[in-house]
Amino acid sequence: MASRYCYLALLPMFVFLIVFSYYPPVTALWRSFFDWNGAQAIFMGFSNYLELFQDKIFLRAVGNIAKLSLFRILAINIMSLLVAELLFNLKNDRARRFYQVAFLIPMVVPTIVSLFLWQFIYDGQFGLLNALLKALGLESLQHAWLGESTTALKALMFVGFPWIVGTNTLIYLAGLQGLSTSVIESAILEGCNIFQRFWKIDLPMILGQVRLLLILSLISEVQSYETQFVLTNGGPGTATMVPGLHMYQVAFTYGRLGYACAIGMVIFAITLILTWVNMRFIRPNVDA
Amino acid sequence: MLVSIRKMQLPIHIILIAFLLMIFVPVLEMVNISFKSDTQFDHNPWGVEAPFQTENYVAVWPMISGYLLNTVIYAVSIALGTVFLACISAFVFARFDFPGRDFLYLMVISLLMVPPAVTLIPQFVLVRNLGLLGTRWAMILPMVAGGQVFGIFLLKAFFEGLPEELFEAARVDGADSIRCFFYIGLPLSKPIIGTLVVINILGTWNNIIWPRVVLSDDGLFPLTVGLMQFRQLFYTVWGPLMAGYVIASIPLIVLFALASRLFVQGLTSGALKV
Repeated sequence: MASRYCYLALLPMFVFLIVFSYYPPVTALWRSFFDWNGAQAIFMGFSNYLELFQDKIFLRAVGNIAKLSLFRILAINIMSLLVAELLFNLKNDRARRFYQVAFLIPMVVPTIVSLFLWQFIYDGQFGLLNALLKALGLESLQHAWLGESTTALKALMFVGFPWIVGTNTLIYLAGLQGLSTSVIESAILEGCNIFQRFWKIDLPMILGQVRLLLILSLISEVQSYETQFVLTNGGPGTATMVPGLHMYQVAFTYGRLGYACAIGMVIFAITLILTWVNMRFIRPNVDA
Repeated sequence: MLVSIRKMQLPIHIILIAFLLMIFVPVLEMVNISFKSDTQFDHNPWGVEAPFQTENYVAVWPMISGYLLNTVIYAVSIALGTVFLACISAFVFARFDFPGRDFLYLMVISLLMVPPAVTLIPQFVLVRNLGLLGTRWAMILPMVAGGQVFGIFLLKAFFEGLPEELFEAARVDGADSIRCFFYIGLPLSKPIIGTLVVINILGTWNNIIWPRVVLSDDGLFPLTVGLMQFRQLFYTVWGPLMAGYVIASIPLIVLFALASRLFVQGLTSGALKV
């Protein structure tokens, strides 16, 4: 096929991309230097970026997202890997396939529904968690989990408990299944216990998967604010505020689109830096 | 050594089942409570108890069905548009050689790095300036544009892996490029295209922020935005509330039941090799 037909076939895609995908981020970068309400724009230099350092809500939001995403990234990956290890050590193939599908099923509960269910679990009056505490005779530990500033952020850390992500488990399991059984058998003969085997053999072999999934969960956790958007709106006060939600409110509640673009660029920069750090320090020794 | 692994089997099963219980108890309670009247909930909120009330479903269906239909319209249009454009482009990138191909592909793929946080606000202004604010197009067009990037990434790797001999043989028999695509490329790619469709539909179903930003007419709201209003209406009237949540979840469960084999196959083969 002549080259020009190739270009012609790619044309519709590029028209879409230029309008909806290339143009917006360029605007975002450009307008982050302006005082912009969507219509009028006044050039401000770096003042939007400088304002961020004095914006108490933004600084609080950065602190919150740091705690929240560090905890959640570790929890999600440790638990998913744990389940993958359990499945890997299962001798019955049919049972393994059953569990694989069972752990994928939560994917089909729409995010909005599962967030509402967590709201129901945490409800101070009717919630599942308080009912459970009451049944155990631990009434003194009951809280309005999302409504109190001391518990709200911790409650958000536990959204999605036990943090097992079916697709992550599947990818870790695929990595573990690439291990040769003879290596494992000889390790056991040498007297390796389970933990030594995990650190010395399993983990080094699946570093590629670990790195990929750490990066993916890092990108999604650092930027996400749907949970806060639906459950707490950043409150009480600023107890659960995160940068993405702050950007949303600055833009659509206060109409400061230029400042919001600057927040967006900073979120982007933080994600890039963390991704780079991750790539730099976790290096799989085998390119499998 | 074999003995020790056999001994471990029972504890492994117990731990896995405990995890599954933790995951599924809230979902099962949602279904359970959706069949309870208000008085039943007050007396016995958690236990399963006859009679099962279907009134909750009857009551909320008229309120939810419009949102559900909208979400289906968005999900199907976005998935069709994305798969159509991504298939063509991925096929061209994978199986033809032309000047600038690698550069153009890199240009497309680099968009995977640009996060929604950066594009949300300028995309909103763009949609407003195009006069699309408050229309279905505001939901569909930007999502097709964004979705095809991941689609091209996924499909190109797969199309490249198809054996060249098949296409060679077809060309000898006189098939042109378009026929090669429709009669060889597409039929062999069903699992990966199915995977793309499922991921795409899940994305639309779970899109919370964007519809909230660009839509204002209740008649156009998808489930995500609709349910947030619905929840405020029924707050603490748990039976109807849970019935609404169940209705919102059923289509995805059906989709998963139909496509799970394709999906697991597509995820474990092909493009996600690390």
